[in-house]
Amino acid sequence: MKAKDVYVGELEQQILLIVLRLGDDAYANPIGEMLATAARRRVGRGALYTALERLEAKGCLRSTMGEPLPERGGRARRYFTVTTTGMRALRESRSVLLGLWDGLESKLETS
Amino acid sequence: MTTGAATPPRGAERLLDRVLAGAVYRDDIVGDLHESFAAVAARRGPALARLWYLGHVARFTLRYGLRVTILSPDTRYSPTARGGTAMDRLLMDVRYAFRSLLKRPTTTATIVTTLALGIGANAAVFGVVDAMLLHPFVMHDVDRIVMPITTSPRFTGHRETVSAADFLDWRRDLAGGTIEHVAATDWWDANLVGRDEPERVLGFRVSAAFFAALDGRAAIGRTFLADEEVAANSKRVVLSDGLWRRRFGADPAIIGQPVLIDGMQWTVVGVMPPSFTFPLMAEVWSPLTFDEKTSRDRTAHYLTVFGRLADGRTLDQARAQMKTIAQRLATDHADTNAQLGANVFTLGRGMADVGVPAVLGLWQAAGLFVLLIACANIANLLLARAAERDREIAIRLALGSSRGRIVRESLLESAILVTLSLPLSLAIAAASLRLMQAMMPARIVRYIAGWNRLGLDAWTAGGTIACAAIAALIFGALPAMHMARGIVADALKSDGRAGAGPGRQRVRRALVVAEIALALPLLVAAMLSISTIRNFLITWQGYDPNNVLTMRAVLPSSRYPDAASRERFAMLSLERLAAVAGVREAAVGNVIPAVDTNSVRAIEVAGQPIAELSKWPRVDYRVISPHYFDALRMPMLSGRGFTSADQTASERVAIVSESMARKFWPSGRAIGERVRLANGDWMQIVGICGDVVHDWFDGRVPTLYRPLPQDPSEALIFALRTAADPLSLVGDARAAIAKVDATQPVFEIMSQRQVLSERTISLQYIAAVMAAFAGLALLLALLGLYAVMTYLVAQRVREIGVRIALGATGRDVTRLTMSQAARLTIIGLAIGLLLAVALSRAMEAGLLGVVSTDLRVTAALAVALGVTALAASYLPARRAARIDPMVALRTE
Repeated sequence: MKAKDVYVGELEQQILLIVLRLGDDAYANPIGEMLATAARRRVGRGALYTALERLEAKGCLRSTMGEPLPERGGRARRYFTVTTTGMRALRESRSVLLGLWDGLESKLETS
Repeated sequence: MTTGAATPPRGAERLLDRVLAGAVYRDDIVGDLHESFAAVAARRGPALARLWYLGHVARFTLRYGLRVTILSPDTRYSPTARGGTAMDRLLMDVRYAFRSLLKRPTTTATIVTTLALGIGANAAVFGVVDAMLLHPFVMHDVDRIVMPITTSPRFTGHRETVSAADFLDWRRDLAGGTIEHVAATDWWDANLVGRDEPERVLGFRVSAAFFAALDGRAAIGRTFLADEEVAANSKRVVLSDGLWRRRFGADPAIIGQPVLIDGMQWTVVGVMPPSFTFPLMAEVWSPLTFDEKTSRDRTAHYLTVFGRLADGRTLDQARAQMKTIAQRLATDHADTNAQLGANVFTLGRGMADVGVPAVLGLWQAAGLFVLLIACANIANLLLARAAERDREIAIRLALGSSRGRIVRESLLESAILVTLSLPLSLAIAAASLRLMQAMMPARIVRYIAGWNRLGLDAWTAGGTIACAAIAALIFGALPAMHMARGIVADALKSDGRAGAGPGRQRVRRALVVAEIALALPLLVAAMLSISTIRNFLITWQGYDPNNVLTMRAVLPSSRYPDAASRERFAMLSLERLAAVAGVREAAVGNVIPAVDTNSVRAIEVAGQPIAELSKWPRVDYRVISPHYFDALRMPMLSGRGFTSADQTASERVAIVSESMARKFWPSGRAIGERVRLANGDWMQIVGICGDVVHDWFDGRVPTLYRPLPQDPSEALIFALRTAADPLSLVGDARAAIAKVDATQPVFEIMSQRQVLSERTISLQYIAAVMAAFAGLALLLALLGLYAVMTYLVAQRVREIGVRIALGATGRDVTRLTMSQAARLTIIGLAIGLLLAVALSRAMEAGLLGVVSTDLRVTAALAVALGVTALAASYLPARRAARIDPMVALRTE
């Protein structure tokens, strides 16, 4: 099956990158914290879950359930990993952005 | 769970769990929050953590909690499925409905316009009802303002004015009782002289308590004091804001200044705020006083009484007390009050015109008919659209969509249509109200309580929105029901032709039948109103109303205290007026035909004595100058007219109208007979003149004419027979009167045609509004018939194609289609005829016999409507006849 082009928005891009960075520990809570600290972006929990769902629906993320944990009231964590579709989407947007950036760095620094 | 670790409030967590039922990440969300709670508690303490947690629960509840489960319960929430939060889904549906409406811009525009016309018409009528019936007066606690009235068996109208002595007794007996601030008012034609021309302004003499009863507080200065009800202190006036601005340049130093009214000096004590012009847009008020004689008079009924319910008292208590008072007066003054009782009305009821509720009811009914027709049309259009979507809906149902969802979408579409049409409806209503207001002459406006408040207000807007919601339900229900009933298998199996089911066609035909049935009564009602006015304006009046200029003067008793001075003014004026170039004859009377005043007297006929004064026959009473009959072109049937020989001192003479002669002297020898007024001299009848129509309610009324010098009245109406356009002589006529008395104002200068027209203004109004409704109804009904016939033809394209292929001619096909239309029209007309007869009977009753049912007119209109309806269906029929069988058979 020919791979479809998947477009991801800015928030989605950031989430995908954070999931990559977090590696095996990528579940909603640290993702939200990292968005707030590293990406300097406060996102409401509802919006975060909606974005995660959307990314899963687009095939950019895959999730697996961990073990039930007492500190979570006996509930399991959902860990996310970036799929190949997600990687392709990231690469695509990166190359688009880099192409657009090309030759503009000096201009931006001097202004 | 580790001991000691902070955990979120249990109830809140359970609520969150419940709220998230069906969400894909339910467990994750609850777990994540649980986990974060410990961190927040460690950082900021358990109390703040709990607040933080509750805040999140609230937000998730808003986001997920309002959802309505439409998909099966075990389906998980996901943005990709049709579902989402209630808000998401509603917005989605709204967008969907908008898109499907925009796909058919013509249909949508047609529906929105039709709806706006229907709703706008209703909103306009509702605005009138609101202004005139529901909230005619804006005053503080208006429900507690009451009008004590006299009742009598002789007087069948809705309220009777009160005599001075009765009023004084009422006021004394009511003190400390159920009604406070008891105040009487009396009409006062004030002749105001200022820097410019003298002007007649509408004034009222009022008791001091009047302003308190009606919640009127002076904007500048004060209102009247109780001791100003004494003649010596009574030369005080309160001005209306309008008069103060118009005549006194809004001079704030006016208080204490003298003004010249009726030739006397009055002191201005106050100016009312712009909102206070009660009653009847009054412009000046003065204290009401009674001299010795009038304060004992119980026969002259001329006062209108107002008051305010005392705190804690009810209308029923006030009625009971007034009844007791009236009973006592009936015993104490049996000669005058034996037959009289008393009642208490609210201000709204007391001031309302008797005919108004009936007319407004009629308008509202007509508006409702139009709205129903509009709804039928729209339902038809929407049904056609629903039918087009049969397949789509069937597929959705087959895939598991719920019927509720589909019905909701359909109703949502109706709601959007209504919402779109609302601004247009309100604009149409506002424009119609403004038009109605502009068309009404200012002179008439003051007699219609609430008319100056006509316009769109919160009440009317609220009523409009309610009306729109009802309309949406009416026209939205049919297509919604149709969609909900959609049978999956049938629609999927069908050949794709939309809406071919026999049941559906029956509904659409029924709608057209209903439209025609509703349009006919409106047409009949409009025609009845129009023909009534036509009758009044165009048919026999008894005189020639063309080329007559009329004008009025009211002589103040201060300048014209006696009969001789009044006679002198009248005769000198006539001399001057007759000399104006272009005037053929000049005449004057206390009343001339068709003006809005009248004079009625009880008479005794010689040889027909009646002991009791109250049972004496009453006739219209006219005091006229010589040449009166010539000027109005009234025929003298026998005897003579009045001449300049009929003077104050000469023999008392009278002329009677034909109807009077016939009533009292049926044998035919009226001339030479004698009549007299109560306490008056006997008058000899010297002539019989023709009848005239004074009031179209009454027709020919027995009328007694007397020569002016023998009873010159203070109210004078001049009638000038002119050679050319009477209105071209207004300036000269005014100047002629000014030469006789420069301080004497003349008013209501108009042609007799205008007098007639103003007299019928209410009927003209009724007719114009009914005609507008009827025109609208007709248009909508024809559009509906046209649309349905077009639709039915489209449904039968293949059948017609086969017929043509098998040899049917174009004419056969036309006949086929037309006969279908004819059937619908005839059924509609049959029902409509019944409704029309009922409606015109209701009009007959409601309009006090002004209109009468005319079956010929009704039948003629039915035929006309039928022919028009068939004409409207001719186009689709012709289109059917031109169907090319090859094309028709290929359409499948």
